[in-house]
Amino acid sequence: MSAAPPRVEMRGICKRFGEVVALDRVDLEAAKGEIHALLGENGAGKTTIMNILSGLYRSDAGEIRVDGRPAPIRSPKDAIGFRIGMVHQHVELIGNFTALENILLGHEGTGWVLRAESQRGAVEEVASRYGLSVPLNERVKALPVGIQQKIEILKALYRGADILILDEPTTMLTPQEVDALFATIRKIAEGGLTVIFITHKIKEVLANSDRITVFRGGCRVGTVRRPEASRELLVQMMVGEREFPAGAGRPGAVASSSAGPPALSVRDLSLRNADIHLLKDVSFDVPAGAIVGLAGVSGNGQRELAEAIAGLLPVQAGEVTIRGRSVEKLTVAARIALGLVLIPQNRIDEGILPSLSLAENFVLGLHPYIFKRSGFFEQGTAHEMARIAIRDYNVLTRNERVPSAHLSGGNIQKVIVARAMALFRAIGGGILIANNPTRGLDIMAAAFVHARFREVREGGGGVLLISEDLDELCSICDRILVIHSGEILGGFDGPDYDVYRIGELMAGVRRRQP
Amino acid sequence: MSLGFVFDISLLQLTMVMMAPLIIACLGEIIIERSGILNVGIEGIVTVGSVAGFLGTFMMGSPVLGCLTAMMAGGILSLLLAYFAISMRANQIVVGLGIFVLGLGLSPLSYRLAVGVVQSPPQIKTLSGVPVPLLGNIPYVGEVLFRQNILVYLTYFLVAAVAFFLFKTPLGLRLRSCGENPRAADSLGINVTAMRYGACVVGGFFLGLAGAYLPLLITGTFTDNLVNGRGWLALMLVIFGRWMPLWAFLGALLFAYVDAFQFKVSSLPQMAKAVPPQFLLMLPYVFAMLVLVKVASGAEAPRALTRPYDRESRE
Amino acid sequence: MKGAWSEEDRRHAAALAATYAAAAALALLAAALFILAFGGSIRVAFATVLQASLGTWGGFAQTLNKFCPLLLGSLAVAFGMRGGHFNIGVDGQIYAGAIGMAAVAFGLEGLNLPWPVFVPLGILGGVLAGAFWGLIPGVLRVRYRVSEIFVTVMLNFVALYLVDYLANGPWNDPLAGDAITVPIPKSAVLPQMLPKSGGHMGPLIALAAAAGIYFMMSRTIIGYEIRAVGDNPTAARFGGININRITLVIMPVCGALSGLAGAIEVSGFHQTLLLGLTGPTGAPNYGAMSILIAVIGRRHPLGVILAAAVFAILMVGSDSLQRSIGLPGSAVFVFQAIIVLTVLYVEARRQLST
Repeated sequence: MSAAPPRVEMRGICKRFGEVVALDRVDLEAAKGEIHALLGENGAGKTTIMNILSGLYRSDAGEIRVDGRPAPIRSPKDAIGFRIGMVHQHVELIGNFTALENILLGHEGTGWVLRAESQRGAVEEVASRYGLSVPLNERVKALPVGIQQKIEILKALYRGADILILDEPTTMLTPQEVDALFATIRKIAEGGLTVIFITHKIKEVLANSDRITVFRGGCRVGTVRRPEASRELLVQMMVGEREFPAGAGRPGAVASSSAGPPALSVRDLSLRNADIHLLKDVSFDVPAGAIVGLAGVSGNGQRELAEAIAGLLPVQAGEVTIRGRSVEKLTVAARIALGLVLIPQNRIDEGILPSLSLAENFVLGLHPYIFKRSGFFEQGTAHEMARIAIRDYNVLTRNERVPSAHLSGGNIQKVIVARAMALFRAIGGGILIANNPTRGLDIMAAAFVHARFREVREGGGGVLLISEDLDELCSICDRILVIHSGEILGGFDGPDYDVYRIGELMAGVRRRQP
Repeated sequence: MSLGFVFDISLLQLTMVMMAPLIIACLGEIIIERSGILNVGIEGIVTVGSVAGFLGTFMMGSPVLGCLTAMMAGGILSLLLAYFAISMRANQIVVGLGIFVLGLGLSPLSYRLAVGVVQSPPQIKTLSGVPVPLLGNIPYVGEVLFRQNILVYLTYFLVAAVAFFLFKTPLGLRLRSCGENPRAADSLGINVTAMRYGACVVGGFFLGLAGAYLPLLITGTFTDNLVNGRGWLALMLVIFGRWMPLWAFLGALLFAYVDAFQFKVSSLPQMAKAVPPQFLLMLPYVFAMLVLVKVASGAEAPRALTRPYDRESRE
Repeated sequence: MKGAWSEEDRRHAAALAATYAAAAALALLAAALFILAFGGSIRVAFATVLQASLGTWGGFAQTLNKFCPLLLGSLAVAFGMRGGHFNIGVDGQIYAGAIGMAAVAFGLEGLNLPWPVFVPLGILGGVLAGAFWGLIPGVLRVRYRVSEIFVTVMLNFVALYLVDYLANGPWNDPLAGDAITVPIPKSAVLPQMLPKSGGHMGPLIALAAAAGIYFMMSRTIIGYEIRAVGDNPTAARFGGININRITLVIMPVCGALSGLAGAIEVSGFHQTLLLGLTGPTGAPNYGAMSILIAVIGRRHPLGVILAAAVFAILMVGSDSLQRSIGLPGSAVFVFQAIIVLTVLYVEARRQLST
């Protein structure tokens, strides 16, 4: 270490959200001209600490210094004053504004009149210095995510940021875009800026950073310099001494024995929104007694596919068949009756009724079946079923009468999975579509969910598992399909998957299939 | 009845008179909604503005002071809405309905308190027309547009000023960003809370002024049903105008024309026999519904409308 | 819910009681200020309110007669809110129901039906007319995504002018004056519950409707689906609930409840159709009051019954204050708004601190 103080220094940072400790006395420092990676699993605290540095959250305790001087950051405005700029994981742009308006916002220059055109030159100058050419006059919502991200970076640089924070910058990008991004980042760092990027991908860290700080469970595990880091070391730091569930039930041969129709069959399904293809000629089968995985970078049409099959989006072209019955024209409820159960992607917005009781949440969707079509809502039955689910799924709650909004995210997910499984049994189904069902769950809970999926398979049902986590897919799927830009680019049979080839397809690299 | 009636100068002049309160209220609501706050209490706030405008003029003898009183009253009620919607993060529709009823109650109450029980209701002098030199002499167009009262001229200016403010000034850009994506605005150092409070108060000034217009220019007295749904119509005009002042101005002209039309027609003796006046009185409201059916599905509201902003909420 | 109250339930109930006590105290304070401003004596005024509304059989009957439309109107709002729909059209639906009742009464007059047939028929006419008036915003919302808030408000004016037309035109009673129809036939008049003091059976019907709504919400599948849609429409849709169908149930039921109120007003109270049925202009009209009673009553039938009773007392009491000290009836609106805002304030405070 040289005598000069680090560009950023954070000491003893603590942050709680209600009863959850998000950060526990965390220290962090980053130097001038350095690319510093923050590595950790979901919920490790890396985004929280950067939100504190960028003024979005206030820390409960701790001290921040910039260039050796105390930097009391209480708002984003303060952070901008200390030349800190952050690019969030989900870009925070205003869709109805042009790129230029987004960049100028809050930094419009002097005077009462907006002179966007006279600022354009200055923006273009910054853009060309870092090789960030973007169409300044386009409305942002019409631009691809990769471009939107460039606008975000440009926005921060235009404000004269010396410290640039990027939160999971590669999740939505193609490999080419990722390469271009890291080239840009390197250029920015060489210009003397400090770049801090948050990620959970070890490969990226090893390829592109100077130093790496690893987080786990709201604590800093340690900081290593790139040359001293290795895959094994980083995994060990990220995961700790946790015990993995043994390779229980590696996927094997498809348990399907029936000659009957597939649980789910999709033919040439297409969906467009204005000029954009959300889904293009998607065709695949989920055989009865099989778990089929759908791999892909998020935002490539997975959500639309699940919703079109479930009847939440209209099927504009193509066929969807559930257990041999054509369903394109049917309502959601009718498709459920034919054997389709969906675990939605967004558990809070799409999964629960926040102010209704846990019992009333548990019977949502199940209610036409368990009340024996009498027309009456039997509280006793609902409560009884909810109590059983709470016990079986180990849901942490005082009782089944509390509003579901009081539960933590993981427990809500358990309720949703329990409900889906009960519904699946009630309708004697069919096909279970699960969209990222284990996101945010701890390893034991995820393994428990996977065990349920295997039960469905053993029982002769089909599972379509949509996940961004390739490791999860490889561990339980009988077959993996890859989706990219709304198209199925390939299918692979288990149990031994060519992960690299799947990765290529996820990135949209087409080649004749070997 | 000749076809010429629909272009009659006095009909169009009346249209301009009826248009002003609608568009003034609508501009206020646009400013408020552009910041991300939905104000469904508008009818109540305009009602309070009308009584404040009347009483201010009546007691101080000056229409200017009357308008200022109304604007203050509108600003204060709007501030109340802002406090609940922004600082308390309450449900904006429920709070708005509370403000609506509060305004309905406050108006007759303050009128009675100030005026007492009297035989004949007090009158104020309605503002007379001030023709603009030269422009007012242009045949037809000039006569319709520039032989009006001073508040109609102010309306022309306000429409242009609000449009310019929203789309051509840094502050307008910031205001719109708060209504579209407050988190993005906040991360750029824009004080979302302050912008939204400011929008509510300034918008409230407009709503109060719109209320004051009614006794000052149309009736000269205050009656309990003076506003008669104009606030709600203004709220619909916001959607009709897609949150843009110029489009809303066109919408206000259309609505005012229908209103003026029913007023003129019902005063024609041969019409009064053919169509009962009540059906003519329904016209503006039926027309409003038909218009909504046409525009509602295509309209795109500010993305963050009705959503309270909490910086530390975790997504 | 069965079983004893848990510690948490008790704390919750105590907090609720404290909230409403604070709101009532503030409203009383405001009331005292108004009374002083109008030159009245606080003690005398409060005594007058209670004496006028509850102190005599006549006053009590008046209070019950006001309670009926207030309860039905606020049920119509509360029911919609539970399902995520804002019904601002109670006034219009009351008018529609009144027209329906009057139409049956005048149309079937010649048949000389006995009252046990005639009255239910008339009320059914009112309920159906109200339901139709509620169906319009429902259909527009489902078909064209037009907010029901606007449509219900606009339909208030349409219904108002329709009554204006009928009461001045075809059904007008020239002897009675403007905007009033000839009386409905005697056999179409709702029987009295308190015959000497002029109280009709309406409040019993209204309470039965409240019980029906309570049962529907808590014990039927459609009620559950309505609550689910009101709480989170997206999740409800994922659960297979057809939201359009729910809208087309909610809005007509809202209209039917208000329509019932209108029918009872005609059949039991006014015994004629007249303008100003929902309250004279400027005085508290049932539609606006119903919105806030629904909020104050926490959108629950039981809470709505209590709140409607309180405001019926205030309405009758404030009538007498209007006569004695000139306090306008609209003061009741202000009390309501103060209570609503205080309750919202306290609850938001609690929410923010957790």
